Amino acid sequence: MLKKKSGSKIVAFLFLLLMAIIWIFPLLYTVFSSFKPEEDIQTKGFTFLPIHWVMVNYQEVLFHNTSAPLAKWFMNSVIIAVSQTLLVLVIVSLAAFGYTRLKFKGKNALFLFLMATMMFPSVVNLIPLYKIIDSLGWVNSYLAAIVPGAVGVFNIFLVRQFMTGIPKEFDESAKVDGASDFQIFIKIILPLIKPVLTVVALFTFTGAWNDFLWPSIVFNDVDKMPITPGLQLLQGMYAMDVGHALAAALIALLPTFLLYLFTQKYFVESLSLSSGVKG
Amino acid sequence: MMNTQLNEVTVSPTLVKKPVKKRHWNLSPYLYIGPHLILFLIFFLAPTIYGIYISFTNWDLVNKADFVGLANYKEILFNHESTFYDQLHTGLFNTFKFVLFTVPACVVVPLLLAAGLHAKPVGKNIFQALFYAPTLISVSAVMIIWSMLFNVTYGPITSYFHTETNWVGVQPYAWITLVIVTVWWCIGGNMVIYQAALNGISKDLYEAASIDGAGSIQKFFKITLPSMKNQLLYRIVITTVAQFNVYGQPLMLTKGGPTSTTTVLLMYIRGNAFGTGQSIAGIASAMAVILGLCIMVVAAIQFFFLRERN
Repeated sequence: MLKKKSGSKIVAFLFLLLMAIIWIFPLLYTVFSSFKPEEDIQTKGFTFLPIHWVMVNYQEVLFHNTSAPLAKWFMNSVIIAVSQTLLVLVIVSLAAFGYTRLKFKGKNALFLFLMATMMFPSVVNLIPLYKIIDSLGWVNSYLAAIVPGAVGVFNIFLVRQFMTGIPKEFDESAKVDGASDFQIFIKIILPLIKPVLTVVALFTFTGAWNDFLWPSIVFNDVDKMPITPGLQLLQGMYAMDVGHALAAALIALLPTFLLYLFTQKYFVESLSLSSGVKG
Repeated sequence: MMNTQLNEVTVSPTLVKKPVKKRHWNLSPYLYIGPHLILFLIFFLAPTIYGIYISFTNWDLVNKADFVGLANYKEILFNHESTFYDQLHTGLFNTFKFVLFTVPACVVVPLLLAAGLHAKPVGKNIFQALFYAPTLISVSAVMIIWSMLFNVTYGPITSYFHTETNWVGVQPYAWITLVIVTVWWCIGGNMVIYQAALNGISKDLYEAASIDGAGSIQKFFKITLPSMKNQLLYRIVITTVAQFNVYGQPLMLTKGGPTSTTTVLLMYIRGNAFGTGQSIAGIASAMAVILGLCIMVVAAIQFFFLRERN
């Protein structure tokens, strides 16, 4: 029995190792090539490690390119992703509280309707949404990237599931003590739903940071753009500058990677949370 | 009202520090669901309905739209001489191809990885983090990385395999490239969900099967797969819907080429509505509605077909 178990462990390890080599290669290639001088890349043939280690690609790509201002794009993305995350946390926790704890007419029908709209393909609303953003005067403004992405129903569903698991006795005893709904929400429910809110925050931040199609439509001013659509412009400029392009890509992926490193526990938890959703 | 007044007097000081403010904060239920509902109406529901409406108009994004009935649909579906007819057919054909090529791999590869991780080998956590990592990268950064990897002049793939293959510029390599990149990029989510599903299967089932003399392959097909049926079905549908919305990969990696063989419908929709020159939002909306219908129909077929068999 013991032998058989360690046998399957070895097979699994070898398989994963093989896959891991394939999976890690593009990442290591990106890191190492971003430190190579462009001259070496173009004249010395391909080497895995840099022959000379230099920072020049980073300096140039971050600060010395006014038609692809990467540092500015990065800051724009930080503002957009952080704002959207905060907005989502507020409206989603309020709404989930409403749909689980409060009584009002048509509550269940309304929630079912919201869930059903998740099946609507979002491609249909792309064009009118642009018109709405335009008539609000939001083209090239952060709001265009922050607000429309915050209306998703799935987050409410997740938080609502989690809230349903909190015993009603908690709020009832507070109610007996005379607490208002809002006090129950702030003092009792909110501290208890922190785990699921962390999950929502992580996904919202990552989603906002990585959003590509929509911001590429609502931003045409190069200085106002977030980094993800910005990289498409940059790709055109650095088509033949391997080191520069890869340094830019690495800068763009750093925030979500770091976030994941520090919150890996929550990420994994969260995905099993959403896997509770049965087809 | 009377009740709340009464309660205010006996309110517990630990819960409510300023009982005077209490009534002010007692919001009606609609104030809780309202913020989301209003934004949802303005930024999702209204544009979705309006998007369907303008597919029946000749809107150009600027001027007033005239109702033209089914003219847009007739043009893109049946008018063989129209460029939009070509666009719809090429775009939809390539989108379906992309779905067909990527979905099986994006469902099965993470299943193998999850099964491997489930055996708890040395370095399990590192492996898991590594396979999940690409999912965290934006499509544009992934495409920059892979277009450099496949670069004919300076790329490592050319150098290691001693080929002169122009990966992104010649078929069938352009499709192979797109599939490889997509699988590398997006297996993480499915993998973690499969891991959770595997953890949920009772060990007793496997032990009972062992006693009955079942081998590991038999166990996989008779116990593991049926036990995670729900998660698999859910992930197949989700993955399919996601791949139908393909846009960034062909846009940045193959530029839709060679000669439009990888141009997907979303690229045409975007080009017609927001490209340079006169916007043809009406036609683009009709294309979007058709794409949306395809997504819903395919998801429904998958759902019923996979349900039925069990």
